[in-house]
Amino acid sequence: MKHLYKRSAYLLICILWAHLAVAQVGAPTIKSKLNGIVLDATTKQPLPGAVIKIKGTTHSVAADENGKFSFVTGQTFPYTLIVSFIGFVQQEVTANGSPIEIHLKENLSELNEIVVTGYSSQERKYIASSISSVSGSVVQDQPSGGFNQLLQGKATGIQVSSNSGVPGGGITFRVRGNNSINASVDPLYIIDGVFVSNSDPISAGLGNQQASNPIADLNPSDIEDIQILKDANATAIYGSLGANGVIIVTTKRGKRNTSAKINLNTFQGWSTAINKFEVATGPEVALLTNESRINTAIDRGENPSTVVLPFPNPENEPTYDRISGLFRTARTSNYEVSTQGGTDKSTYYVGLGYLNQESIVKPSDYTRYSARLNYDNYLTDKLKIGTSLNFTRSNRNLSGSDNNPQGVINSALFPRSYLPIFKEDGTYARYGSFDNHLALIENLDNKAVGWRTIGNIYGEYLIVPGLKLRSSWSLDNSSEYDNSYSSTLISAGIASNGSASSTETKNLVLTNEQVLNFVKSFGEDGKHNINALVGNTINTVLNQSTGATGTGFAANSLRSVSVAATRSGTSSRAESKLLSFFSKVSYTYNGKYTIDGSIRADGSSKFGINKRWGYFPSGGVAWRAGQEDFIKNLHVFDELKVRASLGLSGNQNGIGSYAAQGLWSSGANYLEQPGIAPSQLANPDLTWETTRQFNVGAEFGFFKNRLSIVADYYNKYTYDLLLNVPVPYRSGFASYLQNYGSVRNKGFELGINSTNVATTDFKWTTNFNVSFNNNKIEKLASDISLGASGRNISILRQGYSVNSFQLYKQLYVDPKTGNAVYEDVNKDGLITSADRQIVGNALPKYTGGLTNNLSYKSFDLSFFFYFQQGNKIMNMNDFFMVHGGTQANIGFLPRQLNRWQKEGDITDIPRLTTYSSNPTENGGAANNYGGNVASLSSRYLEDGSFIRLKTLTLGYTLPVEVLKKINISRVRLYAQATNLLTFTNYGGLDPEVSSQSNNQNTAGYDWATVPQPRTFQIGANITF
Amino acid sequence: MKATYIKNTVLIAAIFFLASCKKYLEEVPNNSLPTESSITDVSTARAAIIGTYDRLQGYYASNYPTLGTITADNVIFNGTLSEYLQLDQNAVPTDNVITVAAYQNIYKTVNSANSVITYVPGVTDPLLTAAEKNKILGEAYFIRALSFFDLARGWGGVQLQLKPTTDLTVLKGIKRSTLDQTYDQVLADLVKAEELLPEDGTTRNRAQKSTARALRARLHLYRKQWADAEKYATLVIGNTKYSLVKPYKSFFTAPFQSAESVFELAYSVNDRNSYWNLWYPSSAGGQFTLKPSDALVAKLNNPTIGGTRNALIAGSGATVYGVLYNTTSTSTDPSYLIRIAELYLIRAEARAQQNHLEAAAEDLNAVRKRADVPETGATTQADLIKAIEDENGIEFAFEAHRWFDLVRTERAGVVLGLTNKNYWLFPIPYSDILSDPDVTQNPGY
Repeated sequence: MKHLYKRSAYLLICILWAHLAVAQVGAPTIKSKLNGIVLDATTKQPLPGAVIKIKGTTHSVAADENGKFSFVTGQTFPYTLIVSFIGFVQQEVTANGSPIEIHLKENLSELNEIVVTGYSSQERKYIASSISSVSGSVVQDQPSGGFNQLLQGKATGIQVSSNSGVPGGGITFRVRGNNSINASVDPLYIIDGVFVSNSDPISAGLGNQQASNPIADLNPSDIEDIQILKDANATAIYGSLGANGVIIVTTKRGKRNTSAKINLNTFQGWSTAINKFEVATGPEVALLTNESRINTAIDRGENPSTVVLPFPNPENEPTYDRISGLFRTARTSNYEVSTQGGTDKSTYYVGLGYLNQESIVKPSDYTRYSARLNYDNYLTDKLKIGTSLNFTRSNRNLSGSDNNPQGVINSALFPRSYLPIFKEDGTYARYGSFDNHLALIENLDNKAVGWRTIGNIYGEYLIVPGLKLRSSWSLDNSSEYDNSYSSTLISAGIASNGSASSTETKNLVLTNEQVLNFVKSFGEDGKHNINALVGNTINTVLNQSTGATGTGFAANSLRSVSVAATRSGTSSRAESKLLSFFSKVSYTYNGKYTIDGSIRADGSSKFGINKRWGYFPSGGVAWRAGQEDFIKNLHVFDELKVRASLGLSGNQNGIGSYAAQGLWSSGANYLEQPGIAPSQLANPDLTWETTRQFNVGAEFGFFKNRLSIVADYYNKYTYDLLLNVPVPYRSGFASYLQNYGSVRNKGFELGINSTNVATTDFKWTTNFNVSFNNNKIEKLASDISLGASGRNISILRQGYSVNSFQLYKQLYVDPKTGNAVYEDVNKDGLITSADRQIVGNALPKYTGGLTNNLSYKSFDLSFFFYFQQGNKIMNMNDFFMVHGGTQANIGFLPRQLNRWQKEGDITDIPRLTTYSSNPTENGGAANNYGGNVASLSSRYLEDGSFIRLKTLTLGYTLPVEVLKKINISRVRLYAQATNLLTFTNYGGLDPEVSSQSNNQNTAGYDWATVPQPRTFQIGANITF
Repeated sequence: MKATYIKNTVLIAAIFFLASCKKYLEEVPNNSLPTESSITDVSTARAAIIGTYDRLQGYYASNYPTLGTITADNVIFNGTLSEYLQLDQNAVPTDNVITVAAYQNIYKTVNSANSVITYVPGVTDPLLTAAEKNKILGEAYFIRALSFFDLARGWGGVQLQLKPTTDLTVLKGIKRSTLDQTYDQVLADLVKAEELLPEDGTTRNRAQKSTARALRARLHLYRKQWADAEKYATLVIGNTKYSLVKPYKSFFTAPFQSAESVFELAYSVNDRNSYWNLWYPSSAGGQFTLKPSDALVAKLNNPTIGGTRNALIAGSGATVYGVLYNTTSTSTDPSYLIRIAELYLIRAEARAQQNHLEAAAEDLNAVRKRADVPETGATTQADLIKAIEDENGIEFAFEAHRWFDLVRTERAGVVLGLTNKNYWLFPIPYSDILSDPDVTQNPGY
């Protein structure tokens, strides 16, 4: 690899040298001097950092902190200036003499903004791709770690949900649906040009829950804006990395010639559970247990009067409350300080942040320390170098395996409520498989400390006007250090006399890229616009981990693996490489017609020797019909644009680094001797999973662009899936990774932005967005069922969407017998596993958000609703705790009290029994809770749709006059409520949940999971 | 001039670059061997047979003993995991996790054994002596025999996969054989194994001649070939290396490998077996999924039935638990595959079936005597056979015996109330039914 870097560097130098020679042009002669000032047309405030350029030359300057600028130029008056500033409408002004005052109008429409696309940026109005933009301010000052989580409901084409209420915990983020089955479905995140790793580095097992959101390592307050690249035309330039969409994050940078601005931000939050678990009381559990015993005896043909009741006097049983010991009012604290500014030659942004968040269920918490330095230096007019660096340290207190019998929530929820929490001698009592929840809360010691460095250095050289070469060297280096200790006070440590583990996981992503960019207008009035680029990247991903475990400790205060009685170690290493070449050309004629195309070639070390390279072309067209006279004459549209695109992008993430090779694994040891055994079949033809996407969209602007609408339709077809095709077990293998199968996602997106009122005192804007997605597996080798610890409730089946649930469909509970009757799918008169059917899926039909921002004088108010509709949730808490008596050590949920008791009862909860003979009989007692059905019934599947008032914020900005005296330029105080109101029919604690999120194909489970909290917070933003 | 210079530079760079690309994109793991260089010399040949034992551990550590116990009357479900409830209720769906894992891991073992059988003869390394080669091959034949035997008694006649899977084409056209054909294959492998394996050494953790003979005795018992069963059991019992140890619990007390043991798979702190975790209550750090039934507890506590075998259980009240697997702090319990007590009971049954009642009673009483229970009162052939069945149930209460015994003697209906004979075999995994055109499901599933 070193060789390659050297070689490409050499090549670069050659190219640079050649162009340097061209660029040496004679020095200009002084013809005129120009002084001026740039002001905001509405507020008359100066606009520091605005760029003033003389048309037809490369000469440009930036306005200073007072908005002033001066020119010395070879041009003679009059000449035309092009004045631009981000967020303002670019303006051409004729300079007749000095000084000059220039007024820029604020850009109200998002249609004119500059959009960062793959490897370049372009004005939105000329773009033929489907790209959503979100301002960084949208994701700031929220009680949540990751910006990606906060994009929920803020843009079209994405579906975002938190998997649990654990701070810093995993989230689900999809751009236009699930493209894949076995390869990754997460988008590519690019932060300031760095391809960042999104693989969860935490090694501790959390019962199939994704332990962390790696993107939370980026402090959202550092973000300037976010672009979501959705269609193939936008993502194909990222080739094999782009199929799942690309999220491009640009962080804040200083502006030239601005004085230092210091920002202080803080907020304090208090979170509580919206709902808490409820369980049946001691007497209720006793009553239900007796009833189950009697019914079982009757089913067995025994005389019920001979049954010895386990609880002769159920009403005398005590009730012990475990649930209240579980929850707390969780604190959140956030402090940030940042400064930004710039001189004539350089700009800087420095930000520091601290966030601490407790989970509402003890004892998890999350702390993040973050630091950022962005620096750019204009060495010469032509050469610019710079860097973006992000350092993060994260601390997580993990609560392992909530859905394991020895996890905190299960240990509080499942034990029968008549059983005391403590033994008579005051020590922790434990029952059946379950630990004691208080023992866990007080003694769990599982800490994950992450160190993350994301950074790049770049050089940018303007070869000739319009032609720019950029070289960038990036790294994402993360290390996660997990240490856990199970003391003898918790079940996991009792037998081993204390057990400790220590694991360090290191993920390194190195990326080098060169891009040669060409932007040029030519022809009469610059009618022809070309934006072209060519480039290459070299990408290396290295994952390594080393771990040690030890058991047997002399005392609980000794927690180091090194002092354990027995010790053992593990390690792993995987490296993969990706080599890419790409090019993109976009041509716009007369500001009306755009045609563009791109191609990328990718070679990956992961694939079979025969098919390592993949080629990903795309193309798009856009027509700004609003610029045509016949539309202009309608006087309806300020903007009317239609666009269409088609292209291919690929996916190689989520499969192993050596997935194509035939392997014998080592470590198959016996009797302390080394062993080897076959572990993987070779597939020399393994290659890219490809997504073909067609997109058609329209953008409308009305009422001086105060109302803008963007609508998109897409049809994505992913084929040659990287699929673990099940093979007969007699082969000695379970599956064979091959390119087989296809998935289609199609959908419609609508985004509306409206400036309802815009007076000096009162402003009101509304943003509404909704995204529909329909997912379907079009080709699959055979059904793949999985999920819920081997219960195989989730299924992938041709003709259905991913994340479907496969269950026995309970038709009714027979009012006569009290037994459940299920649909006999194959009509053979029996209930067998063939009678399971797909009864719903975990994917919402649509998701969306409604945001309103209002401001009146110094007050601002905003409220944001998020909604999703049509997804199902498998309520595993119900599954376990409405068990009819089959689970001898588990209590009941109150729902069990609705069971059938006597002839004529109409209910969906069958009669209590543990009888198990004749498991194939439909309407027989065996299948009420056990038997072939074993509770895998649609009885526990619920609708997970909801609408939620996600945030409500009220802010007050202190008057400027007051602040001037104390040298502060701005102070805003605010109060905010998160998850204040939720409207849902879901019967569990919270509908925003996915407990089995480690696997993308097992979505939609609610299983002893920390629910989303309701948070109240107060905060302040201060600018000096 | 300038243009040509650039052109040339780019061209030359591109040539170098493309040449290096191919090499640049080659990555190999540091913890696995490429299939083509898997078995090539003495050390990989040794490692491959070790790997085959490791695969045997894969299904014997917990899945197979569970299939032989919770399905019958000695052990009941007491946990939260549905797959164990399904086995306890004998309502086993085709995707039951335990049956699927056992089936899959057995065939993994078969594939490892097949690889050894196919590739080791071709190793020309002079350091691999003919004797060692034979030993390795003998072990592979033995392990394959055991694997097919375990498949046959669980699933019936199965597909006889006798070649290593190098690619998927080697699978084509192999249908399920009959139970007899499967057992014939087991016998053929055992004959080879006995021939190739060395005479008994000190080990009890690797196959040797007696191990093959002991399994052969069991095979003949399952096939009701009484004389052969008796013959091979006698061969093993006659070997002074093996004896019934006293007290009963000493065979499952660390450091194990007692004289009782004909074949046990050993574990260590670096190669753990945490099966105890399924048996111990949470107050002792376990999950308590598998629990001795009240009926078994009563029998074990009865001095005339259980005797010293009450050492198999501990605790009191609602928390009586099995302690056959008991190395809670180190997780090093062996998998008990063949104990000499089994050979005595095989011979007892074979003799009883041949109506050699006194000799049968003698073997039965040897086992009873070791457990300090009085001699059997059974005198008729039928009573004696019943007494041997009961003895098996107690002697091997938590080992993979009871269920398979009741199925092989066709007594599962009477004893367990499981009258539907279809359920006497486990289902072929659902995934295989979908992916394998050559397989057929067992009836009733």
